[in-house]
Amino acid sequence: MLFNSLSFGVFLVIVLILYYAKLLNWTNKKRMLLFASYVFYGLWNPPLVILLWISTMVDWIAGNKLAVEENKRKRKLWLLMSMFVNLGFLFFFKYRDFLLDNFTAVVNTYGYGYHAQPMNIILPMGISFYTFQTMSYTIDMYLKRSERARTFLDFALYVTFFPQLVAGPIVRAEELVSQFYEEKKATINQFIWGLFLLTIGLFQKVVLADTLLSDTADTVFGSKSILNTLDAWTGTLAFSGQIFFDFAGYSTCAIGISLLLGIILPDNFRYPYGAIGFSDLWRRWHISLSTWLRDYLYIPLGGNKHGVVRMYSALMITMLLGGLWHGAAWTFVIWGALHGIYLVVERMLKNKIHIKIGPYNGILLALLTYTLVNFTWVFFRAREFSIAKNMLSSMLFMHPDGEKLLQSFDIIKIFIIITILFICHYSMRNTSMKAVSLKTPTWVLGVFWAVMVFLIVISQGGGEQFIYFQF
Amino acid sequence: MHLKQSLIIAVTLSVMSIVAWEFFWRSQGFYPTLDDNEALWAMQRQRVEKASSQDVLLMGSSRVLFDIQLNEFQEQTGIRPIQLASVGSSPLPIFHDVVNNTDFKGTIIVGVSPGLFFSTTFPQAQPWKWPQSKVDYYKKRTYAQISNHLLSLPLQENFAFLSDDQGVDGIKLKELLGKIKVGNRVPDPMPPFHEFGEIAVDRNLVMKQITVTDTAYANSVKKVWMFFGKSAPAPDKKSTMAFFLKDLNTFKKRGGHVILVRCPSSGMLKAGEDRFLPRNGFWDTLVKASEVKAYYYEDYEQLKHLECPEWSHLSAKDARYFTTQLVKIMKADGALTNSKTN
Repeated sequence: MLFNSLSFGVFLVIVLILYYAKLLNWTNKKRMLLFASYVFYGLWNPPLVILLWISTMVDWIAGNKLAVEENKRKRKLWLLMSMFVNLGFLFFFKYRDFLLDNFTAVVNTYGYGYHAQPMNIILPMGISFYTFQTMSYTIDMYLKRSERARTFLDFALYVTFFPQLVAGPIVRAEELVSQFYEEKKATINQFIWGLFLLTIGLFQKVVLADTLLSDTADTVFGSKSILNTLDAWTGTLAFSGQIFFDFAGYSTCAIGISLLLGIILPDNFRYPYGAIGFSDLWRRWHISLSTWLRDYLYIPLGGNKHGVVRMYSALMITMLLGGLWHGAAWTFVIWGALHGIYLVVERMLKNKIHIKIGPYNGILLALLTYTLVNFTWVFFRAREFSIAKNMLSSMLFMHPDGEKLLQSFDIIKIFIIITILFICHYSMRNTSMKAVSLKTPTWVLGVFWAVMVFLIVISQGGGEQFIYFQF
Repeated sequence: MHLKQSLIIAVTLSVMSIVAWEFFWRSQGFYPTLDDNEALWAMQRQRVEKASSQDVLLMGSSRVLFDIQLNEFQEQTGIRPIQLASVGSSPLPIFHDVVNNTDFKGTIIVGVSPGLFFSTTFPQAQPWKWPQSKVDYYKKRTYAQISNHLLSLPLQENFAFLSDDQGVDGIKLKELLGKIKVGNRVPDPMPPFHEFGEIAVDRNLVMKQITVTDTAYANSVKKVWMFFGKSAPAPDKKSTMAFFLKDLNTFKKRGGHVILVRCPSSGMLKAGEDRFLPRNGFWDTLVKASEVKAYYYEDYEQLKHLECPEWSHLSAKDARYFTTQLVKIMKADGALTNSKTN
């Protein structure tokens, strides 16, 4: 079920009525939320709920064993069992065809003429998200960093909680499970703020991503021609806006919906296009994934405690796997590699050049960061390397006579939206939406809210799927 | 910050602005219409799963949608056909789907618009891609999509501003912004296209009256047909016929009946069809190879003089007449053997 759909509206109203009606005690409310979460997922593809059940059962059992087992070897075996099942599902559903394709390509370079039969397996929605979430629970239990969930119901709800089930934020057990132990109820202000966040999230998705930006990005990246510089840049900028508004929109909706239930989810985005440098970017973009990768991959690989070479290697491996997490294609690997290189170069330069960030050089450095990020988005969006290559060469002014695809108004529209986006992100670097809204006059907030609702209604998108559902 | 007051202001202004938006578009002549989308098509395709050998399916392009009226067909036969035709489409992908993915063995009326029927079997070509996307949607649709569509129907039937029309008649935010032109950086040779039909939940489509009464409106549609005519690739008679005949044989073997129908066209469009897809070279060959009942409108005195306001489709009034007469002809010919009135 999509947040930007009518059926979700009906679903949410029913859930809220049952949640706030005095018919159910807290345990039954949690059961209702769990059942609703399975309905939320199952309305997309009912049989795949079984995967959620298996994942839940495996990590519940592994967590319970790890909570009492002291034998190191047995503890490791329980951890490996959990990882084998979770990563096994992920590999089977997400990476099988990719691995097979690459195997076929390698074998055929030796002249074997092997033709593999692709299985065309459906990718379970959000599998990368809930797999990482459940794995974090077991790994934390293994490392004795967290307590086991008190009841199976609490744990199952942690794995399946519908607001963040299919596209995050990827929440750690300690952040969410503990909130299920005592009855939760949103205050009036939390409830209204939750509605406001839900509106902002839908506005980002329906109006900004789907209505204003997606067509331009699709047109440019759908072309196999060599494009004019202006068209290539416009398409890339449009995609940079689309992916942000699409994903941040989902996260904002998730946080808002959760708040309607009195449950608090962590921020997933903090104005990433206002970042100065790439370390800063990854503290602001998809925070729940970047912290997951930091805690469960980068640090175990050595982090920055074992010398420069090990640190750079750990960074590169983390970013390469982070790229692969997004999709089973080499373009995503290149996207991750570019970010890894950016991070390595940034750390090398930081050791040699010390820049004091002021208001003037700050915006220039943020602009430089954003510009470099746009080059990475080309690999993220392009479905083929040839398209990425053509796009990059066009963006680097190598084809002044390249094909023109976009009308002038589309180009103006994209540049206006992206300029506003960048200025907003830069000016919001050190603050939050909540802090800004506290300073905003009541009537201004009300009018702004109404404008968003009006634009969502008149955009009435066709219920486009969120981009991150495919990851 | 007083969130409650902000919420009250937001709700009040939102309701007021949406009501004003609705009244504005109604004052501009818009009224609630349904979107002929994949979900609406899939609802009819679903009915095929339970259809009996007495049932009739309609396939083809927009001519079948406009020209064969379900009410008149039902009046004449007692059977309300299932409308599966798709605008701008070859009937072959949908025929292939029904033949190979269902056990339906009733009657299928296939409209033959020569420019589309004989166009292509290439999956990426528009006349194939559009109907195939409907078939794929039906196969893959989720319960969430089904419920979304069912919930959207009462809204579409009551609010004019929810119109999903595209191009010059589009009133969604994306369409409104698309109409703003600054210069002419990339020339768009496609003439402006007006929506000229209205569809019902059972996909019965009728021509908007303005197409009949406003010559300029009809002419704008004619320009679009001219544009498509000039840019159309050469027909692929061999592949399309082979594809169709293979499925036809499968369907016949399990007891199904197929009727071929050539709906009216007029003016320069008809002249173009006669020149580039002449009857003897295409329709007659198809009928001969198919060995099924076939009706070409020009063969019947009561149908041959019908005029299409925009050259390709009949007005609502003429479509009712055409359907009544066509069904009478079919019945007299014994083609509709499954008529409940018999």
